[in-house]
Order: sequence, then C-alpha cells, then structure tokens
Amino acid sequence: MAIIDINNLVKKFGKFTALDGVNLSVDQGEVHAFLGPNGAGKSTTIRCLLGILRCTSGSAQMFGQDAWKNAVALHQRVAFVPGDVNLWDDFTGGEVIDLFLSFNGSRHNETRRKKYLQQFELDPTLKCRTYSKGNRQKVALVAAFASEAELFVLDEPSSGLDPLMEKVFQDAIREIKKDGKTVLLSSHILSEVEKLADSVSIIREGKITESGSMAAIAEKAQGRTLEDFFLAEYERK
Amino acid sequence: MNNNFAQLGRYFRFVVRRERISSLIWGVCIAGSAAMFAALYPGLLPGQPEIVQMGVMMSNPAMVAMMGNVYGADQLSQASLMAQECLIWYLITIAVMNIFLINRHTRVDEEQGRLEIIRALPVGKLTGSTAVIVFALGVNILIGVATAGLLSLVNIGGTTVAGAFAYGFAISAVGFVFAGLTLLAAQLFSAANAVSGFSLGLMVLFYIMRALGDVSGSVLSVISPLGLGLKVEAFYRDAVTPILILFAEGVLITVSALLIGMVRDHGTGVIPARKGRAHASRFLRSPLGFAGRVSQGTALGWGAALFLLGASYGSVCGNIDGFVAGNELMKKVIGADGTNAIIDNYVAMIFVVMSMVASVPVVLITLRMHGEEQRGRLEQIFARSVPREQLLGSFLLISLVTSVLAEFLLAIGLFLTAGGALPLGMLLKAGLSYLPAIWVMGGLAVLLVGWLPKLTVLVWAVFGYTFFVMYFGRVVDVPKWIMSLTPFGNVPQLPVQEFTVVPLVVLTLIALVLAVIGVQGFKARDIG
Repeated sequence: MAIIDINNLVKKFGKFTALDGVNLSVDQGEVHAFLGPNGAGKSTTIRCLLGILRCTSGSAQMFGQDAWKNAVALHQRVAFVPGDVNLWDDFTGGEVIDLFLSFNGSRHNETRRKKYLQQFELDPTLKCRTYSKGNRQKVALVAAFASEAELFVLDEPSSGLDPLMEKVFQDAIREIKKDGKTVLLSSHILSEVEKLADSVSIIREGKITESGSMAAIAEKAQGRTLEDFFLAEYERK
Repeated sequence: MNNNFAQLGRYFRFVVRRERISSLIWGVCIAGSAAMFAALYPGLLPGQPEIVQMGVMMSNPAMVAMMGNVYGADQLSQASLMAQECLIWYLITIAVMNIFLINRHTRVDEEQGRLEIIRALPVGKLTGSTAVIVFALGVNILIGVATAGLLSLVNIGGTTVAGAFAYGFAISAVGFVFAGLTLLAAQLFSAANAVSGFSLGLMVLFYIMRALGDVSGSVLSVISPLGLGLKVEAFYRDAVTPILILFAEGVLITVSALLIGMVRDHGTGVIPARKGRAHASRFLRSPLGFAGRVSQGTALGWGAALFLLGASYGSVCGNIDGFVAGNELMKKVIGADGTNAIIDNYVAMIFVVMSMVASVPVVLITLRMHGEEQRGRLEQIFARSVPREQLLGSFLLISLVTSVLAEFLLAIGLFLTAGGALPLGMLLKAGLSYLPAIWVMGGLAVLLVGWLPKLTVLVWAVFGYTFFVMYFGRVVDVPKWIMSLTPFGNVPQLPVQEFTVVPLVVLTLIALVLAVIGVQGFKARDIG
C-alpha cells in the first residue's frame, strides 16, 4: 500500500514554477531516499506533502487522504524533522520535545523519550539558544523518534551530526523500519542513503528525473560507484 | 605580540559604519524633540501666574515621585520648569539607547557567533568592547551638545547657555553610565536578553530609588544615576559636579568591565547560564499554553508600562483644576468647554490616549503569530497535528485577555495616584468602553496576517493615523467624520459624554468580522 502518493504535483510561487509535475510514491515499510541538488524542489515537495503549502495542481496524499484537507488528522501519524531547525531561545530542549510530542497527539512515552535523549547524548535542560546546529537537530530528531508516528518525513535530518551521532541516527532509522514504519529521507549524504534506502527518487528543477529501487539504480549505474552515478544525474543537462 | 587593543581604529570605523544611521536617528529624535517640547512652553506657561501655578503643581508628592524635586522655587521660569518636567524622560531615553547600542555590539554579536569570526582575526581581546564604548561616549556627547545647541536656539524664557549645556551634558553623562553598566552586564551574563533585561531592570530600579529618595529627601536619589543627573538643576544652579561624578562612574564601570572581559572565556559569562526544566509543564503542552509562553514577556512588560502610564496621568489630578483654569491651550487639549468639570474632561482625554497605547501589546501579540512564521518555526508546528485556526485562535485569546488586563491596569494606576479624586468604578467604565476599539485594531492585525502577511506593517500605519487624529485633532479642530474613521473616534468618551452601547456593539462586530475573515485567509494560505 502506498503511504505517500504524489501525483503530477505542480507548485507555483507567482510566476516561478518550483515543482513542475512531481510524481512520487512510497510504500509502507520502505525507506525512500529523496535526492537532488540545492533548490531542486525537495523541501517544497515535502511542504506540500505536509499541507503547509497548497498544491497549485495535481495531488499529494498520505495514507490515501488529501495532504492539505486532512492535514491535522494525518499529522497524528507523521513525524517531521526539518533541515533548518529553528527553535525558541528561551525554551529548553526538553520543553520543545514535549511541546512537539503533545502537538503530535502522541501519548507521552517517557521510555522512548529517555532512550533517544541518551542515545543522542542531548542535555534537555539547556536553553535552545545555547545549542549548536547539531544539537538543535537532535532536539527535532528525539521528538520525532520518541513519537508514535507511522510515517517519518525527514528533510536533511543529519546534516549537522558528527559521525558517531550519524551512526545513532542510522540505527534509529533501522529500528523504526523494523517496526514496519515508512521513511521519506531527503539527504545529501550519499553514504547514508546507500546504507539505509530501499528506493530512490531524484528531483531536478522541479521534476523527478530518476526513480526506482536501489537494486535497479545499481544496475543503471553499470559498475560506477553510486556517488559517480548521482553526480552524473545531478549534472545532466 | 599580545596587544589587547590591536586594530582599535579600524574596528571603531566598523562600529561607526554599522551604527551611523540608527545613532543619527536617535540623536535627531532626542535633540529635536527636546527642543520641540521646550518650544511648547511659552504657550503653556505664558505668564508669571501660570509659572507659579505650575510650580505648585510640581511640588505635589505624586509629581515629585514622577519627575523629581522642584528646585529654585523662587526663580522659576519657562526654561527651568521645562527642565524639571522633561529631563528625567530624556535620561531614561538615553539609557535605553545605550543599553541596546552596547548589547548589540557585545553580547548579541557574541551569541550569534559573529564576534567569533572577528576574534579569529588579528584583533585584540578588548578591541570590540573598547571601540563600542568609545563610540557610545562620542554619540552621547554629540547628542548632549546638539540638545544644548537647539535649546539655546529655541530660547524660551529663562534660557541660558550654561543651563542648556547642563541639560544636554546631564543626558550625555547618564547615557555613558548606562553604556558602562551594559558593558559590565555583557561580561556577567551569557545570554543577550539577560544582558538587556538586567540593564533595563537596573534602570527601573534606579528610577524607583530616585522617586523614593526625592520624596523622602534621602541619599537614595544621588546613588541613582538618574537622580544624580537631575541634580544639575538646569537653568538654576547649572551644577557641573554631578556631570563629572557621572562620567567618573562611567569610566570606573567601563574599566572593571574591560578587566573582566580580558580574563573571561569567549562565549561565556561570569554568571553561569542556569539550567532549565527537562520537561515541559502541563500548561505548555497545548497551543494555548505555547501562545501564552511566547507572549508572556510582551503582555507583562506592557502591562507594567501601562500601569505606570495610568499612575503618571493620575499624579496630576490633584491640581488639574487650578492649572487648566487660566490656560486656553490646555483647555483646548483636554476639550474643556465649561459644561463639565475640568477633571472629567481630563479623564475623558487621557483615556483616549492611554487606550490607544494599550492597543499596542494587543496588536503585537496578534502579529507574533506571523513573527513565528518569519523565523521559520511555524512549519514545525503545523507539520504536527495542530489546526491552524486553533493556534491563531490561541494567540487571539491571549491578546483578548491582554486587552482587558491593560484597561484594568490603566484604571487602577490612575486611581491609586489620583488621591481619591476619582471613583474606581467610573474609571473602569471609561476604560473598558475602549475595549471594542482595541479589538478592531487586533482584528485588523489578524486580517493582515491571514491575507497580506508581507504587509502587516500596515496596521502601524492605521495606528499612526489614529494617534495623530485623536491626539492632535483636538488642538487643530479636525472635522468629526475624520475622527469617526478611526475606531477610537467612535467610543463614547466617559465621563464627559453619555454612555451609548450601539457604537460599542458595532465596533465589536467589525472586530469579529475582521478576525473571522483573517482566520479564513490564514487557513487557506501557504505557510512560510
């Protein structure tokens, strides 16, 4: 069953066309990598999927329901981590995590919250203004992993993490995958994608240029490393 | 070489480059408005009887607490009364200017990580702090000189050049003390808002010390820099000593701040940052709790300010009759035409003004919703299971509560200092009548947030128009219909006018319609 189903999605900002007919489908239990150069439309696609932006035409669905119309109900089943985590200077990390969890409608699961705080080595008593970029990202990640969401929408979630924390992140993804949860992972870290993803879509200038399982992509790469293949995809005119 | 002041000159030019516009604006506003207010005095106090009357009014303890002791009672003039009524407000203004100026270049830059880039260059440890404090000293002196120059030019009765410079340099010296104190606070605290909070708190404390000292005649007055600044007794004694003492205090505080700055680690403060709660309180875990938490500073800060505003207007009540009786301009300003008691005209006039000020926090809290959006935080909230109308509605509920609180605080502040001249019930009725007008301003803000988020500044244009029409309209006789274009022009002005409920119901409905349309727009538009 397709958990995410985006059909011919067009998003215009005034005259500028950010998304020009995007198609994307992610099945249950799948980790789907979403790749593309900066400004290609990854975050815009994700925002349409979250019902934060309104589609100009086409459709974006989660769990078979319209992402805009049923946003509030759908979001009880979704956890989101943005690439740029902006937090409130005066709140502590712990307060933000609880705030997000309660807004998710999750029952408070202290065990999971504690477990991920420990794994990510995050001190929840510090004010957000004192956190580094990596630590702000950890706040959003702990809030996501501690929730009882079925779908994880992650927009460059690990760009500020150190290698040790990157490993913690990858383990956490494997764990939720084991529980049958679905992940849409936008990322620039190709090694991470290689390790985690079951399937991939590549977006360029608002259009999906490549989509398929990792096995199919490996076949297309014809012996080239995945990195070389992706670079060639990004640069292709 | 270990030079703590390396490249001071270059850094100083960098500070000038960043500050030239805003310092110029502050300077023009301070010196210009000081001269403008002075120019009003010949109209306000045309002759000796008015001057004597004003002197009596200023000796009332409530007025002394507000503005300081009356000096030179035997030689009062337009200029000396102007100084006794205005100087304290300029001392406060210059303090605020210096607090933000210094904080902007020290702890704010440090917290944002900008200073780190500079410190990685061959620049001394103390170069930044020194450059900005020298800049502040220069700006303070220039503003003092400009104020003195303009006051001499305006040349109202009793003006002397020495007096004008005593007035101007009192402003410079107090400003410099607060620059030093803020520099010290920037070494003590590691958070920029703690620095400005501490410095502004200290300013309020100094004001209260001065008020207590002036009323009781104790030494508290001169311990407070604000009180010491008033001791120049401009246009009477024109004392130099207070100015010298203040500058010496400023130098001493600055040196101690620099000494601490030399030994502390970059990015830390002497007072370690406190740890916070590991969990959100039950209250915070809801859209309403969240809206309350991010708005509480605005609501409480403005609440306190409005209480003081009410108290300051109230302190005049005891002597208002005698003062207004012989003064045509004042009669016009408060709308006294002989049919009502002067004090009633006065109350009716100040409630218009105070209620317009009270609409500011209400609008600010409503716009805060859009502020969260601009800072990129709203997408994380709406990516969760939060209906848009619920979050916006939470902010509206907070601003609604703030509006009621604001009118209560105004009325109570007024009641407490009016010395029993005014019944609390009447004041509350007069104040609460303005709530629908305040709500219209809030409704307009919602409409803009919902449909034209890029143009939310328009609400301040409407505010400016309203303020101008309602405040100055009385003096220049604007037509009635121009006043009724603003929400505040449609409210029955108690206790002078008859209370009628119809305009209040209409205003409330308008506010409601604006808000509903705004919420619909907000539900239908892109976030971010």
